[in-house]
Formats: sequence, structure tokens, C-alpha cells
Amino acid sequence: MENSLQSLLDLAGVNAAMVYDGAGRLVAQRGKAVYDRALCEQVGGPLSRAVDSIQLQHQDWEVVTARFADGTILLRNLGDVAGATYVLAVVADATLNSAFAAVAIRVAATKLKKLLGGAGASALATSLGSSVGPLGPGGSQVGAGRGPGSSQVFPPGSHPASGSRPVLASSGLSWSKTGGSSFSAVAAADPAAGAYLGRCAKELARHVGPMAKVYVEEAVRRLCADATFTMAQGPALVEELAGQVEDPADRAGFLKALEAGKSK
Amino acid sequence: MADLEVMAKLQGVKGAVLGDLDGAFLDAVREPNGEAIAAEMGFLSSSLLEVGEALGLGALGTVALAGPQRASLVVLRGRAVLTARVEPVKALPLVEKSVENSFQEWT
Repeated sequence: MENSLQSLLDLAGVNAAMVYDGAGRLVAQRGKAVYDRALCEQVGGPLSRAVDSIQLQHQDWEVVTARFADGTILLRNLGDVAGATYVLAVVADATLNSAFAAVAIRVAATKLKKLLGGAGASALATSLGSSVGPLGPGGSQVGAGRGPGSSQVFPPGSHPASGSRPVLASSGLSWSKTGGSSFSAVAAADPAAGAYLGRCAKELARHVGPMAKVYVEEAVRRLCADATFTMAQGPALVEELAGQVEDPADRAGFLKALEAGKSK
Repeated sequence: MADLEVMAKLQGVKGAVLGDLDGAFLDAVREPNGEAIAAEMGFLSSSLLEVGEALGLGALGTVALAGPQRASLVVLRGRAVLTARVEPVKALPLVEKSVENSFQEWT
């Protein structure tokens, strides 16, 4: 869930990404600067009331875009997951690219649904230390205060606890541009490695759209932390990226394309 | 009332309702369910205004709602709440753009 919200926060113009349950309780959030847990919890009530009123006229609503003078709130209906309803909320400023945001939110929503209702739910429950379920009471917060924003995933009604698990530490390094793509926060050890990252992003983009570059950067940071990416880490990177492609046929195509590129 | 008529004439708008932030129904064009829509969209708008105020986003301008079968556009003008029923759903961006242009003319 952390990675899905972080991928949204990485979009230019996005200031916060939150998941609420049907009662307006904050399930997870990731935000910049002032968009901390307290503020996100504060808006859960009125957001929940807004969603309730939407459902009176639009039971099958998918997306709501509320435009304000100084920003936008995007709501995505995550639907009924394991007997509960959830909503993804994204707060953005005027620099948001709406087209990119629409794709990114769709991708994130698909992943969040799986996490909330599928196999990821038990993993989340385990990581939260909860015996009730992924969103039940009794868990603890994980992953606070990482990267450029603060992040929390917790069951509704739980209290923040200590603990962090850096995933997206900012390296401050620059990716070699020899691959034809520029990446701002990861570094390649040599031109060949840089070109390989570019090829991975290009192939991944065929399946996941414009968020591909973000996924590659995230995967490199998970694999390398502050170190530079080398070709030796290529297989591990491809394995990480393949996990972002949901359709098995597409995933096989992605792996085949990169394998073919390697043998050239 | 003029705002309502202008909105109702936009391409893609099948019906329109004028209400206020308290949910009161004022008028409707080609929309038999006007009172319920005015109440619900008034409540929606006031709830979102509360959210925007907490997040420091300023005044609420429009709310676009989209689903596979139906779409609506809510426009706030002071305390007035205009709601347009948009069909087909894919016409929503066009209606949003038309409303944006119309606002420039109205102001």
C-alpha cells in the first residue's frame, strides 16, 4: 500500500494520497509537508459525508474531481473490498498533469484493491501485527517519515507507534542519461547500466503507461538504496518490475522483450 | 436563473438543477428529480467545501462525477449550486470546458 501511495505522491503536483474506509476512517496516507496524519484524519468525516451523498445519485460512481481555487481533490471509488468500502483520495495543486494523474490513480486503485482484499491483506495484517485482519483494530503504524513526505499505514482507530522501514530514501544522485531517458533520483554505474534502465522503463511503459519511469526508480532504490545500479542487478530489477505488470500475458511479454534486448 | 438556462443549453447536458448550499431547490430544466438532486448536491458541495477549507484549497469551483453509466457536473456560483446531468458520460470533459468558458463570459 505504501508503494502505491508513494507512486501517486511522486507525480508532479500531488501533495497527498490517502485511503479511507466507508466510515471516513483513515486507512493509509502519504503526504508532503502539512498533509500529516492529523490533517488527513480531520477531513475523513466530511469526505465520508460527501461520498455518501454522491452514492445517492451515482451508486456506480468511479471518479470525482473537485476543483478548488488553489488545488484539486480527486476521489477514486475502490468499491467493496472484503465486505467494506474504500475510497482513494488525492490532493493536488495546479501543476498536476490530469492525464498522467488519471492513469496513475487507475493503476494505484487496482493495486490498492488487491492489497485491501487479496493476498496483500494478510501480508499487511502481519506487518501491522494485527490478528483481526488488514484493517481491523489493534495494529500499529509502519513506515513513518520516509522520503520527501511522511507516510503511515494503519488500521482505523489505531494510534501511531514507533518504527520505520525506509523504502524510498532519496539518493540525491543522477541517473546516467545514456539510455535515452533521464531519471532524477537514481544513479547508474556506467552507460550500459543507464541504457538498460532506459530500456526497462520503455518496455514497462507499454504495459503500465507513464508511471513506468517512477516504478523503475522505485525498484532501483529498493535494490540499491544509495548505491549505484549495476548490470549485475539487472535480473533482480526485472523481477521487481515484472511484479508491476498485472496481466500474466503482458508480464510474459515484458520479460520476453527484455530478454530479447539482452541477447542483442 | 440565467446560469441555469445557459448550462441546460450546453451540448451534452440533458438536464440541470439550480439549488443552494443549504440544499434548497430553486429551479430545474428537463430534470424531474430536481428537489432530491438539489438537496444531495448541496450537501455534497458543503461537505467538500469543509474538506477544502481544512486542506487550504480555497473556494470550490466545480465537482465532476463520473461512472460507467452516468456523469454529473456541479458548479458553484457563490451560494448557488448548479448541477448538470451529462449524457453520454464521455461528454463530461466537453461540458466542463464549456462551463469554464461560459464562466469567463458570465464574470
